[in-house]
Amino acid sequence: MSGTRTLQVLLTLGGMLAWAVQFTVVYGATSTLCARGWADATLFGLGVVPFTILTTTLAALAAAAILLVVCVRAERQSRDRPASATDRFLSHAGMLINGLSLVAILWNGVPAFILPACA
Amino acid sequence: MQSALDPAGGDAWDLYWLTIVMTVGATVIFIFVTALLLYAIFAPPESRAWLGTRRTIVYGGLAFPIVTLSLLLPYGLVVMRNTDVPQAGALQIEAVGEQYWWRVRYPAEGEQGEFSTANELVVPIGRPIAVTVTSFDVIHSFWIPNFGGKIDMIPGRINTFNFTADRPGIYRGVCAEFCGAQHARMAFDVMALEPAAFEAWRRAQAQPAREPATPFLERGRQLFRSGGCGSCHVVRGTDADGRVGPDLTHVGSRRTIGAGQFPNNIGTLAGWIANVQHIKPGARMPSYGSLTGEDLRALAGYLESLK
Ligand code: HEC
Ligand SMILES: [Cu+2]
Repeated sequence: MSGTRTLQVLLTLGGMLAWAVQFTVVYGATSTLCARGWADATLFGLGVVPFTILTTTLAALAAAAILLVVCVRAERQSRDRPASATDRFLSHAGMLINGLSLVAILWNGVPAFILPACA
Repeated sequence: MQSALDPAGGDAWDLYWLTIVMTVGATVIFIFVTALLLYAIFAPPESRAWLGTRRTIVYGGLAFPIVTLSLLLPYGLVVMRNTDVPQAGALQIEAVGEQYWWRVRYPAEGEQGEFSTANELVVPIGRPIAVTVTSFDVIHSFWIPNFGGKIDMIPGRINTFNFTADRPGIYRGVCAEFCGAQHARMAFDVMALEPAAFEAWRRAQAQPAREPATPFLERGRQLFRSGGCGSCHVVRGTDADGRVGPDLTHVGSRRTIGAGQFPNNIGTLAGWIANVQHIKPGARMPSYGSLTGEDLRALAGYLESLK
């Protein structure tokens, strides 16, 4: 597998990876901070737990959004230029996967703003 | 008598509606999708072609689930946030799960002294209740279906269950975590009373046990002492101070005995004493099968008189 192909696959799956990282950080940080009794500690006027979840979620959203743009561009280009079926498939799948990852990441962050941090 | 579909308190209503929305919604979607599936299989190719278009997939396969789930997620989270919330001024009750019965303690409150009872939870309507639960031996689970969620009773850990009873009535609670051979015979009564009736009940419970009114009942009390019942049971006001089994100071005032097994009367009390190990094999009380009929009646009569 050539280097370009590896990069293409990473771009395609990148949104899911961002979601996986966000998931791990959100769950891990919440349980660790709550177990350590940091439920009421604040950072920049926000509880530490919501703060961690908010920043992680924003970072993951940004990553998935950038990848989405890259895949949309690749898809456009593959329309204008002659491209292999694999290239076209990868950029198309990348668009869908990164788009859905945006939604999943958003859902993952929502509970932080409805539920108490440690309950 | 015990039903999660007959809510009798605030949280139970929220959970009820959550269940209805989820069940009805899921059923409708399931039927619709199944119908589409059958259509896709059996309809003539030209009339089913629209199912495979990009538009159908974008609206039906992406937009619809995303919108539906984006509404359900916050709804579920809001219900979760609003149920089981501790309330100021709640009536505190402590419940301990034991194989196979429920120890219930009402801590002192103001003028009111503390007392213990078993297998029954008596609460006033309209006032928030906070039941702190734990276990003495294995994991049990405390569940009153009419009042919403269940809560695990875990040895060495204290959990709290908060609810408010909206209307008077008798409800049934059960153990909802397999805890041993007699798990299925581990229930309790929940009596929701008008506040005045609750106060009267609570005052009476805090009193020591009644003195036997007749020689026959006095004989019952003697048998209770000579039989060694007091090594496992408390009868406040006498020298019976055992902590293994239920507090019997006012056992005669309970609706049922044996953790919801029998209605409470002299006959079932006598049957219980003579046959515990037959009724509930493995319960931590021995059968007293060798008492004469006359003695058994006196003993049961004494317990029944402990109103
Ligand atoms: C070894 C301890 C022990 C002794 C001795 C003992 N009991 Fe018990 N008793 C228990 C336990 C434990 C329970 C609860 C059993 C269950 O429901 O699983 C119980 C339950 C009861 C109940 C039902 C209470 C209720 O509210 O459901 C009655 C009544 C009772 N005992 C009467 C007696 C009498 C009368 C004697 C003496 C003749 C006696 N017990 C001796 C341990 C004991
Ligand atoms: Cu149990």
